[in-house]
Amino acid sequence: MEPIYITGAGVVSAIGIGKDETLAALLAGRTGIGRMKYLPSCHNDLPVGEVPLSNEEMVRKLGIADDVRYTRTALMGKLALREALQEARLEGEALSEAHFISATTVGGMDRRETYYEHEQSCDETYAQIATHHCGSCTEMVAEGLGTFASMATVSTACSSATNAMITGANMLRCGMADIVVVGGTESLTKFHLNGFNALMILDAQQCRPFDRDRAGLNLGEGAGYLVLETAESVRKRGVKPLCVLSGYGNACDAFHQTASSPDGEGAWLAMQEALQLAGLKPEDIQYINAHGTGTPNNDESESHAIRRVFGDHLPPVSSTKSFTGHTTSASGSIEAVFCILALQHQFLPQNINWQTPMDDGIIPVTDQRPDGEIRHILSNAFGFGGNDSSIILSK
Amino acid sequence: MEDLVLELKKDIIESLNLEDVKPEDIDADEPLFGSGLGLDSIDALELIVLLERKYGIKLKDPNKGKEVFKSVNVMAQFITDNRTK
Amino acid sequence: MLNGHCLETSGNGSEMLTDAYRRYVGDYPKFFKMDGLSRLGFIASELILQRLGEERFTPRTDRAVILFNRSGSIEADVHYQSTISDPDNFFPSPSVFVYTLPNIVTGEIAIRNKYQGETSFFVLEHEDQPTIQAMIEASFEDEGTTSVLAGWVDYTDAHHFEARMKIIIKE
Repeated sequence: MEPIYITGAGVVSAIGIGKDETLAALLAGRTGIGRMKYLPSCHNDLPVGEVPLSNEEMVRKLGIADDVRYTRTALMGKLALREALQEARLEGEALSEAHFISATTVGGMDRRETYYEHEQSCDETYAQIATHHCGSCTEMVAEGLGTFASMATVSTACSSATNAMITGANMLRCGMADIVVVGGTESLTKFHLNGFNALMILDAQQCRPFDRDRAGLNLGEGAGYLVLETAESVRKRGVKPLCVLSGYGNACDAFHQTASSPDGEGAWLAMQEALQLAGLKPEDIQYINAHGTGTPNNDESESHAIRRVFGDHLPPVSSTKSFTGHTTSASGSIEAVFCILALQHQFLPQNINWQTPMDDGIIPVTDQRPDGEIRHILSNAFGFGGNDSSIILSK
Repeated sequence: MEDLVLELKKDIIESLNLEDVKPEDIDADEPLFGSGLGLDSIDALELIVLLERKYGIKLKDPNKGKEVFKSVNVMAQFITDNRTK
Repeated sequence: MLNGHCLETSGNGSEMLTDAYRRYVGDYPKFFKMDGLSRLGFIASELILQRLGEERFTPRTDRAVILFNRSGSIEADVHYQSTISDPDNFFPSPSVFVYTLPNIVTGEIAIRNKYQGETSFFVLEHEDQPTIQAMIEASFEDEGTTSVLAGWVDYTDAHHFEARMKIIIKE
């Protein structure tokens, strides 16, 4: 496949605003999961990975006027998008020719649920909830940062941001665009906190991916955006790529709406496809950033799938969700940025909060030091609806 | 107890959207899961909600559900022993 | 309507979908667990796939399912919200929550047909044909994809829904 270059990356999550803070936390093994501070939920004993800023603080940091339409999801998105665009030096005419594909499921839900009770009786609240719609959220993220040639919103649950990357890559490959900005953003809401709680897949403690005693996931929030460009565009603009998106795959588990099949068929297919597209063999991968939510079901299913693909050539595997929580629709792009940092700084983001090996499961890496050079990283993102995606990032 | 069994069958049909199933189609001693009703893990969770909503019984551990939902009769007995509503 | 011809149905609004299920499908009780959006997408896909005359229900990885809408999963969202709105009657429903994601409909179609290829869902401000076409064409960049089941599937409530679905096969 023709190389697709990543020339800018921005990230916001529970472990930091921007790549510098994020890198420091990853290297220090410092989790961002803790007590609920910003979400006004009665379930405030549930550990979550909140972005460490209030909405007001994010508005100040962005240096914009406070606007009643700004939802938490959009504000986080703006912070991450701004960082990515600045790094890629994407502005002016080049920016207006670029396309924007953003992922979210929650959109402006955080704002909407605050006003839900008043909605029936008050027209004035309309402006506050006008940006609830996922598509409006995407527009809101871009507003003030760029007037893109086109915008689209992907909503495929927890693989959304990865699928935004895949869609963008496909657009570049078939000549529809030279530059596509891709990623996702999602804030915590009572709506989905209660929903995941009803599915009984939340852990009452910090999550323990790939641990025998894992009991579920912690929800997190954040945003991650990447600038993808063709080789020709990179040359023309004279920008320096961070890394290459060398392969990707998406497949459907076709098993159950929310649970993964026992042998991880969809995951297996997605990883195989990514390797094939990249022209790589399993032994060429030096690190896997797993989906690794910490639920009994995912970690078992994903372990099987990874084992099936990699056999005797199993590289170091970890989940970074014990750092950030599960950032749902944004997880694919947030974790892609972690992988870019790993490639640039040559370290393995270790699987913190792990103690006991699963029976027959992956034993994740807990030591940051790689054995040799990290050249290729595989990253997984699996969503409800059996939507399984994998990408490969390379130096 | 018989009234409860019939009530339970109706509740199960309604809360699990078993459209074409009538109470007389459900054998009160047959396993609820792994049978012709085609129930899955989400249905088990809905039954846990039903227990709380209607009978005030809180099941915190989804694995306990496996024992409690063995059959309609087992469920009815569990409810009789533990209901707070 | 299928391939330009009207099909016989009865019932108003969402009842029509249930009627269509009984007339044209009938062997998939999981239909009754689905929310409106999934029922709509499921019926539309069944009508097309039944007429295609190909072998069905064996696992395949070469068919993508790519759907679009404006309303996301709004009907399920509203239904789910109603289970958590009243603090005195607070019982979040797991089976309803499952459907508060627009892409579950692609999952349901995939589960029914054993499609293990690509699935995707895009939320757009309106039925923007150039964008839809572009996304569908881009999906064929994956060499493993030989056909795409695609369409606009929008369900706001029991009396407001529409679906326009097609299958595109690579020559």
